[in-house]
Amino acid sequence: MERRKRIWLVWAIVLLCYLVPYTLLNGISRWYGSFLFWALAGLVIIALNVYITQDFKEHGDD
Amino acid sequence: MTESLIWWSIAIYLLVAIGIALMSRQRPAEGASESMSGYFLGNRQMNGFVSALSYSATTYSAFMMVGLAGLTYAGGVGALGFEIIYFAGVSLVAVFGPKFWAVGKKFGYVTPSEMLGHRYHSKQVAMAVSIASCIFLIPYSAVQLAGVGYLLQGITDGAISFTTGVVLATVIAIFFSYIAGIRSVMWTDSLQAIMMIVASTLVALFVIQGLGGFGMLFDTLATEHPQSLTVPGPGLFSFVTFLGLTIPWFFFSLSNPQVSQRLFMPSSLRSMRHMLIGFLVFGFIYTIVSVLWGFSALAAFPGLASADLATPTLLASEFVPPVLGVIVMIGIMAAAVSTIDSIMLTLASMVSRDVYANVKPNVSEKRQLLVGKFVVPVIALMALAFAELQLDLIAVLSVAASSGLVAMVPALIGAFYWKRGTAAGALTSVVGTSAFVLLMYATGNSLLGLPAGVWGILVASVLFVGVSLMTNPHQATAEAFFTAIAEELGKKRRYSTRQPAKEANS
Repeated sequence: MERRKRIWLVWAIVLLCYLVPYTLLNGISRWYGSFLFWALAGLVIIALNVYITQDFKEHGDD
Repeated sequence: MTESLIWWSIAIYLLVAIGIALMSRQRPAEGASESMSGYFLGNRQMNGFVSALSYSATTYSAFMMVGLAGLTYAGGVGALGFEIIYFAGVSLVAVFGPKFWAVGKKFGYVTPSEMLGHRYHSKQVAMAVSIASCIFLIPYSAVQLAGVGYLLQGITDGAISFTTGVVLATVIAIFFSYIAGIRSVMWTDSLQAIMMIVASTLVALFVIQGLGGFGMLFDTLATEHPQSLTVPGPGLFSFVTFLGLTIPWFFFSLSNPQVSQRLFMPSSLRSMRHMLIGFLVFGFIYTIVSVLWGFSALAAFPGLASADLATPTLLASEFVPPVLGVIVMIGIMAAAVSTIDSIMLTLASMVSRDVYANVKPNVSEKRQLLVGKFVVPVIALMALAFAELQLDLIAVLSVAASSGLVAMVPALIGAFYWKRGTAAGALTSVVGTSAFVLLMYATGNSLLGLPAGVWGILVASVLFVGVSLMTNPHQATAEAFFTAIAEELGKKRRYSTRQPAKEANS
């Protein structure tokens, strides 16, 4: 269950989801502004969860 | 889209769904009677695929396709941010899921409230969590019902009234719950989830193509509605409002018992992983599709009277082939049903297990199940009454429910990470925060400029930690709880430490 400790990476992405669109991207009225940022954040979160839960596989069916 | 096409489609959907629900039934072993965990948890034997689809269908409901598209229509891209933060919050399952699963298995919990009651050695905690869940989740169910009402009314130009839609969804939800408890709910959820993800993606593609392609859609938005592509945007998503909406939803996977109860159900952690990853992939597609629907409606129909009409207007438009429009419409109705029936089952299990069985000691399992089955329609009828009130922007009402449920979060986190947490702390936190959030909503939802969504988690944490520090924890149950987690999660690792060096370095 060591990988679960990497969950802080997800929380870091969440923090960026608050900060970046409201500061750096608030003047970009195009698809490659906040829309792209949040969409990519979603994909990164999926990838992180795949990584973090790798060792769940150790627990096979009972 | 004619009225008869809609009714025929509903009939076909019901036929297929009832067939699947009937097939999902499992007879108890010879001589054994149906148990609480059999009826409400599928005997803790649910596989990852069905769990993922059902988790998705329970979470993403009429709110997504009607509410989130409406929120995008009204407030722009901030709606995507809101949903992505919620989505990220489901990662809490990766941390808390195995712990829930381990103690559920060890102590036989049926409900999350039962778990808290046992952990803090207090029946009052279990009862308070159950009652607070009912107070907040019945309006939340009403939101889903209202979603169906708006949808059918909007898409048929009023030929099918709001009330007809709401009553129809309620009846179907009760029916699906009754056939085989959680099993029929999960299997019908899965049917609905697959149908929805395919049909809604097709609709997005048709509409975007009709509007001249993805580039053209965003060009139109950039020139005619530039604010819709930024935050705070047209005004709905000020930073404070964004915080107030997102904080409660971030904790949704823990705070809402209809989804946290799911953490007791997978047959193994491997299944739980499939549930989590499957949900995330599904949720991501669904989120993007819903937001694109909202954007498309804004580009094509900028002057709608209400943002909640964005989805129905889009589905009834020339861009969507009528048959596909009807499939999605039925899918959205099914989505609302799949959320409500899960909530009804969860609340019913909590009322019978944590309220009834605690008030009246020595109640048999059979009796608890009977009471649970009786409570299901009672909850449904209460939700029906709320739905008839027809409140405005349905997403906002559903967030009110989430703000209230945040009351459970510190007690839940404390249960797993803070041995010093006490029954008095948990009880004060749950009751005090619930009352505080209700008071906030009754008085305009603003205190020092911040909404209940922001205050809720702060108040709940201060009450839990503060009161716990002033009282004494029940050491024995805390120890038993922590030992059970360590044993249950540790035992499989001992079999699989083939790569100890790698493990130690990771």
